[in-house]
Amino acid sequence: MGSRVGVRLLLILVLLLAAVQVAFRPLAIVGRAPVGQPLQLRMNLGLDLQGGSLLVLEGQDTPAARATPEAVDAAMRVIERRVDQLGVVEPTIQRQGANRILIELPGIADPQRAIALIGKTALLEFVDTGTTQLPEGATWSADGRTVTLPEGAVAPSAPGARPPARTIALEKKVVLTGAELETAQAGFDQQTAQPIVNFRLRSGGARVFEEFTAANVGRYLTIVLDNEVISSPVIRDRIPGGQGQISGGFRTIEEARDLAVLLRGGALPIPVQVVENRTVGPQLGRDSIEASLRASWIALAAVGLFMLLFYGLSGVLADLALALYVLMVLAVLSGLGATLTLPGIAGLVLSVGMAVDANVIIFEKLKEELRAGKSLRMAVGAGWNRAIQTIVDSNVTTLIATAVLFLLGSGPIRGFAVTLSIGVLVSMFTAIVVTRALVDGAAAVGLGPQVARVAGRASR
Amino acid sequence: MTPRVWDIIGRRGWGYALSALVILPGVAALIYYSASGQGALNWGVDFTGGSYFQIRTERPATTGQVRAVVNRFATGQSTIQRSEQDIFIRTRPLAPQAREGLLAALRSEFGTVAILREDEVGPKIGQELRNVAILAVVIGLALQVVYISFRFKGLRYALAADAALLHDLLVVLGIFAITRKEVNSAFVAVLLTVVGYSINDTIVVFDRIRENLALRTREAFDRLVNRSLLEALVRSINTSLTTILAIAAVFFFGGVTIRDFAFGLLVGIFVGTYSSIFNASALLVDWTLWADRRAGRARAAQDVETGGATPAPVPAGAGPLPGEGGGRRRRSRRR
Repeated sequence: MGSRVGVRLLLILVLLLAAVQVAFRPLAIVGRAPVGQPLQLRMNLGLDLQGGSLLVLEGQDTPAARATPEAVDAAMRVIERRVDQLGVVEPTIQRQGANRILIELPGIADPQRAIALIGKTALLEFVDTGTTQLPEGATWSADGRTVTLPEGAVAPSAPGARPPARTIALEKKVVLTGAELETAQAGFDQQTAQPIVNFRLRSGGARVFEEFTAANVGRYLTIVLDNEVISSPVIRDRIPGGQGQISGGFRTIEEARDLAVLLRGGALPIPVQVVENRTVGPQLGRDSIEASLRASWIALAAVGLFMLLFYGLSGVLADLALALYVLMVLAVLSGLGATLTLPGIAGLVLSVGMAVDANVIIFEKLKEELRAGKSLRMAVGAGWNRAIQTIVDSNVTTLIATAVLFLLGSGPIRGFAVTLSIGVLVSMFTAIVVTRALVDGAAAVGLGPQVARVAGRASR
Repeated sequence: MTPRVWDIIGRRGWGYALSALVILPGVAALIYYSASGQGALNWGVDFTGGSYFQIRTERPATTGQVRAVVNRFATGQSTIQRSEQDIFIRTRPLAPQAREGLLAALRSEFGTVAILREDEVGPKIGQELRNVAILAVVIGLALQVVYISFRFKGLRYALAADAALLHDLLVVLGIFAITRKEVNSAFVAVLLTVVGYSINDTIVVFDRIRENLALRTREAFDRLVNRSLLEALVRSINTSLTTILAIAAVFFFGGVTIRDFAFGLLVGIFVGTYSSIFNASALLVDWTLWADRRAGRARAAQDVETGGATPAPVPAGAGPLPGEGGGRRRRSRRR
């Protein structure tokens, strides 16, 4: 028996070391030699802990195009290009259902800029407005027949005495769209030092551009983004080579850069709307990690102390099993690549409380067997066998609840379900196998009486 | 054992009364708030759709000052709350311009405004999340009920456990109605966890009852249940104590973001333990005694010979396979 206990304890030690290695990677294999590195918990953190944005976009039907899954996929590719330009590390972009796109942007510094960039249709149009110059901010109606002028803008020069109308009839005659753009760069105008966007058209577009400008010198070519006028320059000369610039409308170089990003990524084939946005600033994420870590330590300490006070040496053994339990849960989470969220940490802490439950059940059954007059060895065997059934049963209910939460919950709640269920499963293992080995081990080294004393305590 | 036995079952009326004392105000609050149009529970943006901001301002701001600013941009009812340093704003869905305007106005009033957290849920998504939440609770509950029925192979145990479960859910809902704490997606996790925990606790007690019944002592059912309760009591209390200790640490030290979640778990685990000690077994006893009396009357009318042979009624629904007729058969075999 003694040697078998020894083997079991050794196996548990191996398990402990493996858990530490998986969760904290103290050893990395560089080349062929193992290299020590500082202990650090290897865990994916959810957006609520590291800060970042979760966005759900919904494709909108327009008279021109319906939000079919194909159109949404095409929009997704455009959004991928835009997100790449934002420099987000490990973004997630996936389609959700028929017409939604789920975007996760971890650790993003300026979520509002990202949302503005991602959600913009960014349909650039060069519109022939003939002799009419439109002010910046004027907007075309969706059907492209009328233009609404911005507040405070002067109406286009009308010689008559009629008061300027807020909405004027003007058909949108599109010469070219942003689809013809080859590239776009932000820069500064050499004369005015204003921010501008330089663009170059593909050869087909360049030809159209050249022909149009040649035929319309002295008239206006209005540049429109998502039906809103950016600028309405006069054509001074024929423009060959497909090179041009968009000026006006940019207050800062960043605005010009954002437009360049959008133009390079292309327009969305269908407009999208942000239907869900959950953003956690980096500061709150850090605070949450700090606070929940502190809470976890306090919880562990409180539970450990309770077991020690109530069950004496057996409690210490249970505490050891509990420590191994925590390491193993972390290892399993890390090994599975699970994402730790704030409710996930709460689930972990909750599972610590529940993990003790298995030990309590075992100790109470052990107590009864000892009181019934069995020897320690017999009592341990009988107590465990009776306890296993109860432990499995009592955990099934929690597992049912977590399974439902996992299947139907989203994001953080799913994290809660994952940690709680893994916690419950691991706790069964540590209580049934590890605590047993520790109790047997203690008995083998002559601590039997101390373990048996559990029966004398708290008798009612 | 010790001469003085704690008689929980004997005083089960107190257990019921205490439960009623907690549940009735909660139910009253649910009805009152529902009737007054504020919503039975304080639904968060997850379920109603809307915008939620957690901000930290440079200059101190009272909820009244913030409300004045918010009301300029948000239509309908908004909720403003604050903790030591943060302000929480909940509004109906805000158009992008209104959002920009609100933040600009807050900045001009209170200096730099750091947005710690922002949730924006479209009305459609809110409705979907609500449906999913209801579905989750219904499926979770149904599965648990199926599990109990399967586990106890008998209606009586299953229904007693379900009643205790319903009790726990009512308490948690009621307390959230009274305290007006926000009910969001995380609350679904609270409910289901409480359900799992409550049943777990009840099962351990019922298990003990059946274990003792299998020993076939000639004990009265209510005495036997009381003894089983006491035997399982240390475990019940110790387990919920450790769990409550752990979750209390999250409640007190885990930060504002998770406080309501931890609060729900705390309440739920506490009542889950309470109901499995004071209600579930008590219901089982009441039902069994009632069924026994009825069976006894029927038997006395039918068959006077085997009638009052046992002074203390041995429970009818007591065996591992309780059933209306089964108990009687087994009993006659036992003699």
